Amino acid sequence: MDKLLRNKKAIIIFMAPAFLLFTFVLFIPICQSVYYSFCEYKGITAPVFIGLDNYKALMTDKALKYALKNSIFFLIFSCVSQLLMGLFLAAILTNIEKGRNLFKNIIYLPCVLSSAALGLLWMFIFSPKLGINQLLQKFNIEGPLWLMDTKGFIILPMWVIAFVALWQYVGQSMMLYMAQISGISKSLYEASYIDGCTRAKSFRYVTLPLIRPMVATAMSLNAIGSLKFFDLIFNMTEGGPNHKTEVLATHLYQQGFKYFKYGYASAIGVLLLIMCLVVTGFINKFVKSENYEM
Amino acid sequence: MKKFSFAKLLIYIFLLFMAVIYLAPLFWVFNVSFKTNAEIFTAPFALPQAPTMENFTFAWTAGKLGIATLNSFIVCAITLALSMMFGSMAAFAIGRLRWKFSKLAMTYFLVGMMIPVHCVMIPLFTRFAKVSLTNSLIGLVIPYLTFSLPVTIFIMAGFFEGMPNELIESACIDGATIYQIFFKICLPLAKTGLFVTGLMTFIANWNELLLAMVFISDDMKKTLPVSLSKFVGPYNTNYSQMFAAIIIAIIPTIIVYCAFSNQIVDGLTAGAVKG
Repeated sequence: MDKLLRNKKAIIIFMAPAFLLFTFVLFIPICQSVYYSFCEYKGITAPVFIGLDNYKALMTDKALKYALKNSIFFLIFSCVSQLLMGLFLAAILTNIEKGRNLFKNIIYLPCVLSSAALGLLWMFIFSPKLGINQLLQKFNIEGPLWLMDTKGFIILPMWVIAFVALWQYVGQSMMLYMAQISGISKSLYEASYIDGCTRAKSFRYVTLPLIRPMVATAMSLNAIGSLKFFDLIFNMTEGGPNHKTEVLATHLYQQGFKYFKYGYASAIGVLLLIMCLVVTGFINKFVKSENYEM
Repeated sequence: MKKFSFAKLLIYIFLLFMAVIYLAPLFWVFNVSFKTNAEIFTAPFALPQAPTMENFTFAWTAGKLGIATLNSFIVCAITLALSMMFGSMAAFAIGRLRWKFSKLAMTYFLVGMMIPVHCVMIPLFTRFAKVSLTNSLIGLVIPYLTFSLPVTIFIMAGFFEGMPNELIESACIDGATIYQIFFKICLPLAKTGLFVTGLMTFIANWNELLLAMVFISDDMKKTLPVSLSKFVGPYNTNYSQMFAAIIIAIIPTIIVYCAFSNQIVDGLTAGAVKG
């Protein structure tokens, strides 16, 4: 049998399609992307090496400043809010019996829906004359311009988009935490009650430490997701008004496929990639802990 | 005897509130999509006076959502079949066959999960443009397939690793080749895994917007999210038609979700646990 499982030819045949696809569609393009980011490349002519000029241009690009600020805001907001809200929902849902599945499925529903469609939906809800403002009008309140206001450091549209993103994706974190919490053995809680823990205390001293590995996982998923974030913003504001709600992904799309500055867009892509790697590295270093025996 | 608990009551009130927040927007769109455009402003929250399907037929034909649904379906179905095939083959090699670099190969695929699609879009686009793979559905299938592989491989490898050794041993004694073992024994036994990964792949690709938008400019080849985003734009002023378009775009996933919510949720959890 050992010989059968060590069959070199079979291994190559089984691995080849996936491996080749991965190499040619993912890893080689990444290297190319890094190379393009050092080039002047407009699509029609061949790329010309210009060194760090694209990165220098990044420093002075005003829209990029907004994009970077919004992306970082988004990253922090979604990591924190998803952690708190996801944990809270998971904690109360694991504590009830009746209707647990129903509520779980309702909250998870938007995760599987197209964020392009949901973005449009929320765009209408927050549009000047429809949705929420219609509702507010009934009480004679004049609603703000939810998606066009530009006052403040983090402008109102960004908060709106951030909350919509929380609404859409919190189900995912909730599910992950619920799976982890329901894996904790009952006897640990019983032991903690015997030792005089209240419910809140046993959550703090039993549940929290035991789900810490999952916090790291869910958080890095959120972090990557929020850096990649494109669909909702593209359909809710398209980066407007005046680039104020741009994030890195929408800026990359604009520079690359509206103005065809491939080299410059690649530099934004490299920035995005580095941020993804740094953030996941950071989370894995500081949040992750070894798995306890449960 | 059950004790009435104030905390429980609070929890249920909160959960009902959450359910309203989650479902109300969907109901609102659904309701409005049956109205005429004028009714949206005169009676925004009432039920439609004379429910009309016209909005749907307009979005389906003139808005080209019909053809887009078909395109999406073709792309997703091909991607699904291929990713199940290639993914489980690689997963079998990693999880079951014995070779030095199997761990390394797994890491290679898992790193791919962290890479955002934006970073490879430009080189892929320029290369595909050269071999006229842009504006074709095959050109979409290739990157979709690649980005679906890591999660498929991860989940399926778990399934293959968990299979009892005796199974393969006995097949081996009966003289089966390694290919027969894979196709006739292991693959049928991993049906659940295939189903779960298949659902996830299908949903992820069905909703994908960015790549489809970049790669396809021909109206007849656009996928659902792209056609939807184009139809529902700042230049359209007929709200009820746009709302009908949104409903057309999300109804298929809602139906799939209602039918398979437990499997979808399980798959997600299994796929994410690796970190």
